[in-house]
Parts: sequence; C-alpha cells; structure tokens
Amino acid sequence: MLDLRNLTKRFGKGDSAFTALHEVSFSIKEGEFFTLLGPSGCGKTTLLRMIAGFEPPSGGALVLDGRDIAQMPPNRRPVNTVFQNYALFPHMTVAENVGFALSAMGRPKAEISETTVRMLDLVQLSHLAHRKSGELSGGQQQRVALARALAPKPRILLLDEPLSALDMKLRKEMQVELKRLQQETRLTFVFVTHDQEEALTMSDRIAVMNGGRIQQIATPRELYDQPANRFVAGFIGETNFLPAHCTKGLLTLPQAAASLPVSYADGPVTLMVRPEHILLGETQASALTLTARVERLVYFGTDTHVHLQAEGELTLIARVQNGMRSGAPYREGETVTISLPSEALRLLPQEVA
Amino acid sequence: MDAEARLQQDDTRRRWALALPAVTIITLFSILPLVLVVVYSFLTPGDFGNVKWQLSFEGWFGVLFERDIFDDTVSFSDAHLTILGRSVALSLATTFITLVLGVPTAWFIATRPARQRAFWLFMITIPFWTNLLVRTIAVQEMIRSEGVFNSLFLWLRVIDAPIQMMFTNFAVLLGMAYVFLPLMVLPVYAAIEKFDFRLAEAAYDLYASRLYCARKVILPIVRPGIIAGSILVFIPSLSAYVTPRIMGGGKSMMLGNLIEMQFGQGRNWPLGAALALTLTALVLVALVWYTRLTSGKRKDV
Repeated sequence: MLDLRNLTKRFGKGDSAFTALHEVSFSIKEGEFFTLLGPSGCGKTTLLRMIAGFEPPSGGALVLDGRDIAQMPPNRRPVNTVFQNYALFPHMTVAENVGFALSAMGRPKAEISETTVRMLDLVQLSHLAHRKSGELSGGQQQRVALARALAPKPRILLLDEPLSALDMKLRKEMQVELKRLQQETRLTFVFVTHDQEEALTMSDRIAVMNGGRIQQIATPRELYDQPANRFVAGFIGETNFLPAHCTKGLLTLPQAAASLPVSYADGPVTLMVRPEHILLGETQASALTLTARVERLVYFGTDTHVHLQAEGELTLIARVQNGMRSGAPYREGETVTISLPSEALRLLPQEVA
Repeated sequence: MDAEARLQQDDTRRRWALALPAVTIITLFSILPLVLVVVYSFLTPGDFGNVKWQLSFEGWFGVLFERDIFDDTVSFSDAHLTILGRSVALSLATTFITLVLGVPTAWFIATRPARQRAFWLFMITIPFWTNLLVRTIAVQEMIRSEGVFNSLFLWLRVIDAPIQMMFTNFAVLLGMAYVFLPLMVLPVYAAIEKFDFRLAEAAYDLYASRLYCARKVILPIVRPGIIAGSILVFIPSLSAYVTPRIMGGGKSMMLGNLIEMQFGQGRNWPLGAALALTLTALVLVALVWYTRLTSGKRKDV
C-alpha cells in the first residue's frame, strides 16, 4: 500500500550536512498498525514528517497506492497526522476542530455535521462538542486530535508520539483505546514512539530505527525473541550480552565448562540471553552452565532481579518470578549454579562497542 | 466594638492608605484637568483669551454651528465639519496604510530565526530615539519642492516643475504613517511571535490551502494584536498635532490644530475646551469598539 524506496533525507550543506535518513526502504500493508521505534534523533519523526509531506525527501520515492507522492504537498495527500502536542485550534470548539478538514475541502454542511457527530461518538466525546479546545484535559484533547485526523477518512493515519504527554495511567488506557479505534476503523496506522512497551503492546509490525537506518522490521514477538543485532536486542527489553567464541561448530564461553554445538560462522560472537530465561540452581542437558556469586537482589513485586557476578568481570542479571512462598530465594553473597539453556541463547555478530 | 470588627476596620483603613498615592495622582492629573475642561467649555470667552465666569453654551454651539456676524443666522460650520471629517478620514487612512505595511513587516520579523528577530526589532525601534519633530521635518525634507524627491526627479527629467507635495493631505498622511508605523508593527509582531506555527502545519495537513489556513487559523489567532495595533495608531492619529502642523500647514488642519488655535489666535477657550471634549468622546468610542471586538463573545463562525 505504502512503499518507501531508498528514502534519504539530508539537512544542511557542506561540512555541516547531516544525513537524517539513509536510503530507507520498506512497505506498509493495508490495515496494519505499523510502528517506528527508536531513540530520539534516530530519524523516526523525520520519516513520519516525510510521509505527511512536511519534509521533502532528498532522494528516493514514496509510493502510495501506486502513485509517487514524494513531491505532493501535505494538503493534497490522503494522509492525516495526530501531532505530539495535538495542535488543536484554540479558537475553535471541539466540533469545529473535528470538522475542520471537511470544511477546508468545501464539503456540504450536512455532511460535515454528520461526520463530526459520528467521529465524536467514536472517541466518546459527544458531550463536549461545544467546548473550546483549550478547556479540555490532556486525554480529551488527545481524543479530539484523533477524531479530527480521522474525520476526512485518510488512507493512512500518522501518529507522532501522541501518548508521550499523558500520565502513566491515561497512557495505558489510550493504548487500548488506540488499538480499538484502529481495529474498528480498519485503518492503516503509522505510529512513532520511543517507548518500546507502547510499541510492543499495540503494533502489528515494528520498524526499529537507529542513526537514520532501519535496524529490523518484524512483529513484536520476533523482535523480542530474534533481534537482528545488538542494538535491537538492547533497545527492546532487558538483555544480557556475553562475549563468546565459535570454533568449528562449537560455542564456547570462557566461564562455562562445556561447549554447545551450534551452526554459526567461526570467530568471536556476542551471546544474548534474556534475564527471565536464565535458570538459577538448576542444570539442563543442553545448556551452558557456570557458577556465579549473587551480588544484589532487587525486589520488583512480581519478580526479583538477581544481579550475578561470574569469572572475568562478567555480570549478568537474572529474573526470578516470585512464587507464593514468602522470603527471598537467595541471599546476597551466595554462590549459585546458573544455566543458560541453548534454546534461550541468541548469537549476534560481535560489534565494536 | 468587638475585636473582629476593629480588625476589619483597621484593614479597611490600611487599604485606603495604600490606595492614597494612586488616588491622589489620578485626581490631580486626570480627573481635575478633565473637570476643568468641562467647566471651561460652559463659560464665556474673555476678550484677550481666558474666560469670563458666565454660563454659556456658545462653546458647544460652536463645535458644529456658526452664527453670521451681521444677521445672526445659524448655519453648520463648514470649516469645523471639514476638519473633523479630515481628521477621521486621515486617521483611518493612516491606520490602513500602517496595517498594509506593518502586518507583513511584523510577519517577516516574527518568522526570522530567534537571533535575528532582536536585530530587526531594534531597527524598527530606532526612530523612537529621535524626537518626533526631527522625524517629521526629515519627511518634509524628502518631499518639499526643493527636497530630495523633487530634485531627483527634476535631475532625471521625469518632471519639468517640482510637484507640490507639502501642505496637502498626502503630506500629512505620509508623515503620520511614517511616525506611527512602529506602533502597528510591535503589537502585531507580539501576536505573530506567540502564534504556534504547528497549528498552521496541522491545518495544512488537514487539506487547508494556504489562503484557508491564513483566514481560518492564523488571522483569528493574531487578530487581537492587529486590533491593538490599529487602536494604537488610530487614537494618536486622531489627536495628532505636530505632524499635521508641519506637513499640512494651514491647509490640511486636523482637530489637534483646530483646538490649539482656539487657545491661541482664536481666543475662544470655551470652544477649544468643547472641541477637546469632542475629540475625547471620539477616542472613547474607538476604545469601546475595541473592547467589544476583543473581549466580547464572538458568535461561532
């Protein structure tokens, strides 16, 4: 539906030139909840503004329904944006805000008011239709911004970190609400965020970006379980990285006695294991087993983080679910046997840190 | 008297004491002179200026009418009506010209990068450092018959004889527009500078053309600044004295000059006082209209 082909964006000229996007290419499918995830300055907002039409690309094509829209101005693209600060028109009522796009298009009055009523219904704000937008709470403004962007029935709805200004509780509610709206309207959403939890809970697919490049595009589960590189692994969820070595199909970790058979190219590798996959005090047939000292226990309610110290300055964090019995399962200073099951291990190419 | 009542009384006293300096200043410099003007407007003119303490409505009568000195027939005072009309017309025209020049200027400054704005504002305020008289005479130097423009055009052989620009309505208009332009630019700039350009972006995203966005989003939000600027230009224009005196001479007189005349050559202080109050009333009307425009509840568009 939307194809990005080698999209490039450079700012400035000469020595001060800065490339915000390096030949980004991917496709977004019809009806998909697609998220651009990355730290600030990774180029995700630039990419979104490019789809909206606010930033002309320095190179590449942007194809929507078979038509290159890269040079089309924002007011002619069938794409609408929910802005980070909502950007509601302060001198207009909620209803006028929602009807703005249709008025600008010169649609008949009856259609505008009918659509406005339907949109306000959709975001459950019908009772506030005649308030000025400045008199609303953050969450309500958020809903108005959504209704306003949905009213002209865009092909794609762009959302620029729309939840970042809300408090934690409201944010969780809006996450559910957004997903509901997306499923109800069957619209394509392109969502920008730096919050990995937001991305994981709502998205059909996520593009992880860093330094103006796409690092990986995958479903939330794939991203978490099979990150393509160290950046993705570290950005999404918590992870332990262990330097290891591959020789002739055998994986060896200096701290573990036995080695594991793997199919991976020879040379140094980075071993990745999620904290919840580390087994404490147990051994398994197909696992790397090592001993470590419990440095610190951090209680998190549902689980406890166990900070471990193994030979060679290797620190690991394991996450142990807190059972129904009370009391800490380990004591600080205690030495325990830990095993890293082979199915929990991911091998990543070693990168220069 | 119980303690609470005494405390309350102390409080009231203290409030009065605190308000005293302000009340004194307002009474001495604002209310008292105004009362004096009102009283003078109902007295009889003295033979050599000043007033005789004799009740008379001639002053007010003279604002709009005149009596023939031979047969006492009453007719409208053409001269006064012309001057009144000219004052309002020239002030409106000045406001219009400063709007046309000032709004784009303010827009230009407000859309520069933050660092450059200070420089441009500085350029706008520089004329304020110069005395009004000097600035007006500078304009005169440009347009008088032997002035810069006429000399240049004569030398270029665009014209054969100097164009008479001084002592016309055009001269007064030019002088006032020049002098009052910063009063328009500054409030409009302040309004545009506060405008959140992300709103324009949002409108653009929602299928608005540039014109529609300017009309429906930018203009309604910066409107208070434009109205404030118009009022700031219109009111001093209406009561302008120096500029019409220098640029218009005796030919393009405005209300301010007419009033001054009554206290000078005219030796008709009551008429001067009545004219001054007429001017005050006009300004008041403009101000009431202004408050209506800005604070009154607007109907939904």
